[in-house]
Order: sequence, then C-alpha cells, then structure tokens
Amino acid sequence: MDEKVPRSKIIETEIPMGTVHPAALEPYRVRFFVEDEIVQEAEITIGVNHRGIERIMEGLPVEKANALTEKICGICSNSHIWNSCRTAEIGLGIEIPERATYIRVIMGELERLHSHFLYLAHGCEVLSHETFSMRVFYLREIVMELLAMIGGNRVQYGCSVLGGVRPRCDLDEAKLLRLKEDMDKIEEGLTGFANRFIADSIVMSRITGIGVLPQKQAIELAVTGPTLRATGVARDLRTTMFEYDNFDFNVITQPDGDVKSNLLMRALESFESIKIIRQAIANIPEGKVINTDWEMFDTDITESYIEVPRGTLYHSYALESGRVRHCVIRTPSMANIGAMQYACIGDQITDAQLCIVQCDPCFTCTDRAIEIIRR
Amino acid sequence: MFSNVIIYSVITAAITVIVCFIVSTLLPGIERKYIHARIQQRIGPLVISPGILAPIKFMFKENVKVESPVPGLYKALPIICFIVVTCLLIALTPQAFAIPALSSLVAIVGLLKVEEICYVLMGALSKSVMSVRMPFPDQIKGAAHNNSNRSFIEDISSRRSLRMITYGSFPLYLALFAPITQSRSIFLADIVAYQQAHGPYLFTVSGAIAAIVFFIGYMIILNEYPFSIIKAKSDVIEGPYMEYASKYRAIVYLTRGFFMLVLGVLFSVLFLGIPPVITSVNILINILVALVLVFMMGIMSAFSPVFTNRQLLPTILGTTLLGILAIALGVL
Repeated sequence: MDEKVPRSKIIETEIPMGTVHPAALEPYRVRFFVEDEIVQEAEITIGVNHRGIERIMEGLPVEKANALTEKICGICSNSHIWNSCRTAEIGLGIEIPERATYIRVIMGELERLHSHFLYLAHGCEVLSHETFSMRVFYLREIVMELLAMIGGNRVQYGCSVLGGVRPRCDLDEAKLLRLKEDMDKIEEGLTGFANRFIADSIVMSRITGIGVLPQKQAIELAVTGPTLRATGVARDLRTTMFEYDNFDFNVITQPDGDVKSNLLMRALESFESIKIIRQAIANIPEGKVINTDWEMFDTDITESYIEVPRGTLYHSYALESGRVRHCVIRTPSMANIGAMQYACIGDQITDAQLCIVQCDPCFTCTDRAIEIIRR
Repeated sequence: MFSNVIIYSVITAAITVIVCFIVSTLLPGIERKYIHARIQQRIGPLVISPGILAPIKFMFKENVKVESPVPGLYKALPIICFIVVTCLLIALTPQAFAIPALSSLVAIVGLLKVEEICYVLMGALSKSVMSVRMPFPDQIKGAAHNNSNRSFIEDISSRRSLRMITYGSFPLYLALFAPITQSRSIFLADIVAYQQAHGPYLFTVSGAIAAIVFFIGYMIILNEYPFSIIKAKSDVIEGPYMEYASKYRAIVYLTRGFFMLVLGVLFSVLFLGIPPVITSVNILINILVALVLVFMMGIMSAFSPVFTNRQLLPTILGTTLLGILAIALGVL
C-alpha cells in the first residue's frame, strides 16, 4: 500500500456516492476516482448534518450544556455527556462517589458493546451477508434493553450529571442480577457468532487483505481507537483513565489493519467489555451516586479525553458565572477520515464502502466539529 | 380440423402461461418468508407481499421522470424482459414443439441472451440522482480533482452486465447444452422424447454434474447473492433497475418471479424430460422443481456475502470446468 499511485498519473473517472447511499449509515459523500473498478483515490465530504451544537452551548448554564451534549450522537450519547460532565468536574475539582464511577464504567462499556455490535452488523450488511448482520443485531438488542433499563431510554440513555450519576440510574440488586445474566447470554451469543464468522471461508476471502491501513500510515494520519489498534498499536486511553483503575482488562490489538482485523478487533474488544462489566457488578461499592457538595466558580479552559467506542473523544470549555465558554468537542471520526480515504485505495469499488465502514465512521457527531484553518 | 388443432394448442399454451404466471407471483414471497426470514430468525413479509402486493402497489403509484438519454427505450426494457420470459415459457410447452425454430436450445439461448442484453441497456441508459455532482464541494479549490470525468453508478452495473454476458453466464449455457450429449439433438422435442424413453438425464453422472452447473448458472442469471454484482447494495445499489418506478418497477418484480419459475420449468424439460402440460399432473412436477430451485437459491444466498471479481472469476472458472466435465462425460 505504501507505493501509492501519484495523483498526476491517475486516469480519473469519478464515481460519486452519497450523501444518501444504502451502504452508508451516515450522511457523507465520497468521490471515488477509479480505474477499471479499482479505486485510485477517494475524497470524503461531510457537513450536510451540521447542527452547530458547540455554538448553541456557548453561554448555556453548564448543566444544560451537558444535557445538550447527549444529543450530539445517537450511538455514543452517554460518552458525550460523561465527558462533558467530566470536563466540568475536573475544572471545578468535584469528587465523584465511587459507586457513580462504577455505574459510569458499566454504562460506558455497555455503550461500547452496542456500538461494536452495530459496527459488526453494519459490516456484515455492507458485505451483503444479511444473516450474520441480523444475528448481531439480535445480540445488540439485549444490550439496548439493558441501556434502557439503566438509563431510561434506548438511544438517549446518558446517566452522568455533575458530581455523579442520576439517581434513577442507580443499580439495585435486581438490575445487577439481570446485568449479570445478560452478560452470560451476550458472551455465549458472541462466541457462537465469532466462531461461525471466522469459519466462513467465503466471508474470510471477502475481508482478508481488503482496506489495508499500514501501522506507519495510521500513526501519520493520527488515527484513533479500535481502528488504530487494528493496525497493531496498543493505545487505549482507558489505561490512563482513573475510572478504570480498579479494573483488569487487556488492550486488544490486531496485526494487519485490514477489514478482517477491524472486525475481529471489535469482537475481541467486546469480550473485554463483558469482563469489565462483570468486575463492576461483582465489586460495585455501596454508597451514594451523586455528590452535591460542590461550588461553582470560574475556570480556565479545561480539557478532558476519554476512550469511547470509536476512539478518543475530546471535550473542552471554560466556565464563566456557571456558563459554558469556548466549547470545543472533537470526535474520533474526525481523526479517522484520513484513514477512511486511504483504506479504499487499491481495492475494488465493491469493497470501497466496506473500507470506509471498517474505520467506524460517525459523521453525524463529526459534522459539528470546528475546523481551524492556519494561514 | 387442422385449424382446430392450432386453436387448441394456442389456448393450451396460453392457459399454461397464465397458470405459471400466477404461481410465479408466490415464488419471491416464498423465498423471502420461508427461507431468508426463517434462517434469519425473523417473521418476514407476507408470502403474497413481494410478488403480488408490491406490484399492485407500484401499479398505482405516480411515475417519476426518468433521467435517461432514451427514456422511451429505457422504460420499454422491463416489458421486453417480460415478453422474453413469456416466449421462453411458450418455447418449453409441448405445443411449441411443432415449431422447431422456437423449441430448440439455440432459441432458448437466444432468448436468455436478450434478457441479459436488457440489463446492459438498462444500466447504460440510466442516469439517476444518486451520482449527481455537488458543484461547490466538488469543484472548489482544494477538491481532489476538479475536472474529472464523472461516471454514474449505473454505468458500473452496465459494464458488469456486459462482463456477465461474456463469461458470467457461460456455466448456464454449458449446462443447457449438456443434455444434447445424450439425445444428440438440439430440439426440445427430441430431448424430452429421449428422456421419456431412457430415463431422466439428471440421474446420470453427467446429468448430476450438469445440474449443479445449471443451479449456479441459475443464480447468476437471476442476479441473486452471492452473484448479484450488477445490483450490489454495497456500491451500485439497484443497478440497472435504479430509476424504475410505478408500473415499470411492478413489471420488474413480476418478471423476476416469472423468470424463477420459467428457469425451473427449463430444468424440468432438460434434466427430467417433463415439459409443462397443463392438462397433466406433470405441471405440478414443474412447479415443484421451480420451488426446489428457489429453496436452494434462498439458502445459498442467505449464507453468502456478495462476490467481487476476486471471488467471481474463480467460481465461474471452476463451474465452467465442471460444465465441460459434464459434457465430456456425456459424450463418453
């Protein structure tokens, strides 16, 4: 892949796809420059779903701004509100009850499970393997019900508030028992799916060596999250987050950076998430779930990074009289666009959408990012 | 007397076509409800939904303006396909055996080729909104290429259809000609007569291999997964059918179901020696064979991802070799 064809030598036939295309769950448009159905170059354009959430957040009371961040993404809504609260908590020095930290971790990992299952199902759908896709969606359904049980909704289930989690998200014995039982079901289902998937030689021939993103290129493009780890780089922000200090888990990597590595990466990472949730269920401490004993004061710009299902999520803002100022949010897909464009090159046009999908795009979140143009 | 025979033959052939057409409207529903949905552990649509209700619904929908350089021809192509499939069925009826020019394998192959050519034309004549240029982001300074030649995604499916004509459907044609090795005649009447005298060709080694080749060719010509490269959802979406709406889309749906049944009848004639006779119980065998093929296709497609050229070429090559083996065994 390193011997990329120079742009001037490309015979340019452009095949645009999107912004509406059945293989793309997200509103993006990609221009493929092809020669004999082989993609020579790709250009992704986003921006059709710009909502200006950062602008809306400017001047809002921090509690309202936090609630608004949940609306950024329908897949990782909990991660956004968690990181937004975390930003203010770091700035204001708010201590979080340990029980609340555990609940946040459980929600974070459940969200990772549902996001990874969505990824696997979508990947299978783009492969046009509807049976595998359906089977993963059934597994995901269990996770969605768990999220609804804890957070109250299937999509907007964020539980974090300043100082902890919402009291309705506290976990009683019955909820913990159901979580435990459903983790067993998910593990069994995922093991069965993974075994079937790996044993399917036709599927393997479709995904092995397709959409290769070399490790060197991934680092140069500042790729993040599972897409980076699928190239063999063991970088996971959870290893540095204080919330995960009490949990034992492995950082999963895969060697090849192709579609197969990316799909297996998510499947194996899901087992780690199940492991973390089981530890949280077993060791969740008693106590309150929210700390209301804190004071508001003005802060400088505070930054917070967390590891969300698709990579590193960044939130930063300052507080003035309890209101949000200079808010910047950067989602993982922003960093991964370069990888999506690169991964298509050299592959057939039928595989091109698969190469983009392997980087787990979430452009609805990314569309509200601010681009800084240096002159 | 002679005119009475002709009238009787025409009426019988017409009734055969009508009965087969009515039965064929259930086949897409059976495939989706009882195979795909069952395998995928979901309820699935009503059996009559894909083949009957959907065409009725589309019949009463408003048509859209087609972005095609030759809209008249583009809109006529589904009708041509339907007529071709009907002619194919007529050619298989015993009443048509009296017309050797129609009831020969050469005519069958010719009709199938017309069907395939229609896909090429559909793709080439369609310019849907799915590939339109976005002037500002595509031509702004900083865009990857400002003056590239734009191609529509239907163009890809058109090129792929052409590729399928040149080599993709080769296994099916080999399987069609395999029974000649036994009957030594290209006329369906002789093929049927030989099998009625000596037993079905299917139950010979050569016939069994040719039947496998026929089945793969059947899936290829029906553009079913994993061979549906001309209408792969991952890139060309609906491919040649992209711009068909209203009654034209209804005809596309009806033709697909009808084509499934007619190919099943073709298999019965060539491999079992049983032509569709409406006055005989044999028509049920024709329908049963069509159902078996639909079931097998449904199972295969539910467990396969769509092929790219990397998988398609070796598969077609392997199937072609198998077809040649069937013919060689038949000759020996």
